[in-house]
Amino acid sequence: MTRWFEDIVIDEVFSLGNHTFTADEIVAFATLYDPQYFHLDAEAAKHSHFGGLVASGWHTISVGHRMMVDTLFAEEERLRAMGLKPGISGPSPGVNTMDFKVPVRPGDTVSYELVVTHKRRSNSIPGWGLLFNRLTALNQRGEVVYHAELVGFSKLRDYTMPLGLKLMLALRNFPVLGALLKRRS
Amino acid sequence: MTNPVTESRRHFEDLAIGEVIDLGHTTVSKAMIITFATEFDPFPFHLDEAAAKASLLGGLASSGWQTGGLILRMLVDSFLSKIASAGSLGFSNLKWKKPVMVDDTIGGTVTITDLHRSETHPQWGIVTLDFDVRNQKGASVLSMRLVNLVETRTPTVAA
Repeated sequence: MTRWFEDIVIDEVFSLGNHTFTADEIVAFATLYDPQYFHLDAEAAKHSHFGGLVASGWHTISVGHRMMVDTLFAEEERLRAMGLKPGISGPSPGVNTMDFKVPVRPGDTVSYELVVTHKRRSNSIPGWGLLFNRLTALNQRGEVVYHAELVGFSKLRDYTMPLGLKLMLALRNFPVLGALLKRRS
Repeated sequence: MTNPVTESRRHFEDLAIGEVIDLGHTTVSKAMIITFATEFDPFPFHLDEAAAKASLLGGLASSGWQTGGLILRMLVDSFLSKIASAGSLGFSNLKWKKPVMVDDTIGGTVTITDLHRSETHPQWGIVTLDFDVRNQKGASVLSMRLVNLVETRTPTVAA
């Protein structure tokens, strides 16, 4: 979340909001990214085991991601309004697991929920930590649409770069020395 | 019960472990990156060149979800639309190894690493697909393991 790594509370539940999927947007997403017949054509989809049009799993994930980003921005605004300096979220290195459970049909409303289950400092990137997030998507009947374990970078507030590392990063800017140092690291 | 949409496609029985699927290639433009990011991933480092340069990405790069979506599209075109696919159960170990930057060309292969019949649904088999996606320099940008359902031609119950 948009808090400093040190301020992230384990097991705190963030409600990310909900989204109602229309047939038009299901087809529009599938046309670009997942053109399988049960995501594209309501008539043909009747022959599939879904029995009708369903959203691409990649679509429901992408919408969930958007809701997470919006929640981060809102949290950032909230902290600024309180006169606090928000933390910095980085890109994600990956997803450990993603399980699709129940398909999303036109008219379904999916709500998304995020919990940070654990965190640790990054071994490879100084000044950053890693967050392990559990994302759950539920439909209007409370059925699990998918659940996932996502990994994200979060910046450390209380990090001072050691002098040695600072010096090395500065020296990397000189062409010859930089090439030598890069080869060694 | 035959499915008229998939009956002429390859079924579970027609697939083999070790089969390699060529994904072809896709070039990722700045306009594509900004269009996807605006809708699904509006972090400044996916929308704005200056913000991207200052971030861990080091320059304007596609959303990881877009990279995955483009790869999924390549898999549908090269494989999933040619087999009796019945949807995905999920994936694991998705790793975004390197950012995909403006005008990078991504492509690669997917290998069938496991095939087994569903124990609960005899009409389905389960195919495991391992992705190896690289950029034009040959550097690995994404790997993941996707699990997909495929209709069986003969829904025999295992002995």
